[in-house]
Amino acid sequence: MSDLAVLIKGLSKNYDSTQALNGLDLEIPAGSFFGLLGPNGAGKTTTINILTGLVNKSGGFAEIFGHDTVTDYRNARKLIGLAPQELSFDFFFNIRDMLALQGGYYGMSFKAGRERADELLHQFGLLEKAENNARQLSGGMKRRLQIAKSLMHDPPIIILDEPTAGVDIELRHMLWKFLKDQNKNGKTILLTTHYIEEAENLCDTVAIIDHGKIIEQGSPNTLIKKSGSSKLEIKVKNWKDSIINDKRAFSFINDTLHIPAEEPEKEMIWWIEKLKENNISIEDIHISKSSLEDVFLKLTGRSLND
Amino acid sequence: MINRPFMTLIQREVWRFLGLYRQTLIPSVISSGLYIIVFGESLGSRIGSIKGIEYIHYIIPGLVLMNAINNAYQNSSSSIMQAKFLKFIDDLLITPLNGLELSIGYMIGGIIRGVMSGILVISLAWLLADVMIVNIPLTILNLILISWAFSALGVIIGIYGQTWDHIAVFTNFIFMPLTFLGGVFYSIDMLPEFWRNISLINPLYWMINGMRYSMLGVHDSPPFLSIIISGIFVIAFSSIATLMFAKGYKIKE
Repeated sequence: MSDLAVLIKGLSKNYDSTQALNGLDLEIPAGSFFGLLGPNGAGKTTTINILTGLVNKSGGFAEIFGHDTVTDYRNARKLIGLAPQELSFDFFFNIRDMLALQGGYYGMSFKAGRERADELLHQFGLLEKAENNARQLSGGMKRRLQIAKSLMHDPPIIILDEPTAGVDIELRHMLWKFLKDQNKNGKTILLTTHYIEEAENLCDTVAIIDHGKIIEQGSPNTLIKKSGSSKLEIKVKNWKDSIINDKRAFSFINDTLHIPAEEPEKEMIWWIEKLKENNISIEDIHISKSSLEDVFLKLTGRSLND
Repeated sequence: MINRPFMTLIQREVWRFLGLYRQTLIPSVISSGLYIIVFGESLGSRIGSIKGIEYIHYIIPGLVLMNAINNAYQNSSSSIMQAKFLKFIDDLLITPLNGLELSIGYMIGGIIRGVMSGILVISLAWLLADVMIVNIPLTILNLILISWAFSALGVIIGIYGQTWDHIAVFTNFIFMPLTFLGGVFYSIDMLPEFWRNISLINPLYWMINGMRYSMLGVHDSPPFLSIIISGIFVIAFSSIATLMFAKGYKIKE
């Protein structure tokens, strides 16, 4: 199997007069926890829908573990588990049979499908609902069931489109833990989100997408260091400009030192020592850490929630 | 093509209509029973026989065909329409199933329902009117071909339709008039020449004629034409339906 779970080159998609994807390139290593971060309409869902076959691409190519999603779609699709943002279930059957049928579409026998369904329902705390219809579940339960459905055929890559949109904090944390465990067990996870916290907490790599193109990619920390604006603020008494004679960047406004810093914690140690040496008393210290939101804002001039 | 994913889709389609038998199979039996009693028993004695066949027996092949058509068409069209409305069609489109397997899978669901409803009506006719079939293999062949043609049409309308009205339009404004004018309840030899000629351009006339030949051994026109016409519809509708699924017409962006 290829070392790359996903390889996308020059992917484009036009909807009448709108260009949803504009020559998108993306590489997702196998085993990574990858976040596709962007505002609504940036092209996240279109990208994953092309990978899964729900949208026909206009140009470029995409591969899943080396299998082209168009010319070798059978092998490509077997490897993907998709949990779309919009909840959808085959309501004609009870939950266990609905999942078993879904497994059957990927080649599982009905008996094996029912066993796998029970295993997943147990994992997601839904086993007692196995005989119910999905209509009878609460919103949070439906979201869990949606993810369980995507795992029926035990795919090596799980694609989740805004998995925690509209879910309560408790469920969000439960899903995060579950996804982290899945990733530890070797699954590649591709997550689209516009929640910064989600991307920062979960993903080892993040790609920022805007106007149908990847504009930046790296680990959350690297991106924050590279494009962010973390800073240290120290409120002091008896300030003297003369104590800083090297080329450190800072400004002094309203009794407060404003110090831009990639790693404010490390910078803080140097400053505390320097201020002590010069008998300058410190009244307050504040670290302002940059986030991916700042990175996004800097790169695009827009907020993620725009 | 005969793989587990494909067989699962067929299993799903059959389970769906069997689970809903009160809405799918039973109404056909009730309406056919009413036709047999009202038209056959009460009016039949006044009409007498047609081509040497008792009237109550003469109408049965048409009733069988009418039910097979409706059931086959309704099965595939409503199943796809519901999958579209409830968005779970995406659960199928992301699987390794290709356009041909998806379209044929849906069609087979419709064919099985069409053939089953036809057999149920034949059984009812045997119980109520003591009808004996002259050529069972030919009757089954006709039932399969006719159900296939209309199940394939159901796939096309299911994909194309945007509202439930689109499905109903075909049932109420096309199948119903064409079936009744195709000679379910009469022989076209009983019509004035003008209307007889008009009937000849109605494909359902030929299908009813073929069904009548296979079940009762009588016909107005060459019976093999029924097989040819049904075959042409099967090939045309199945090809269009498969192409629509393969291209993702109206179901993929």
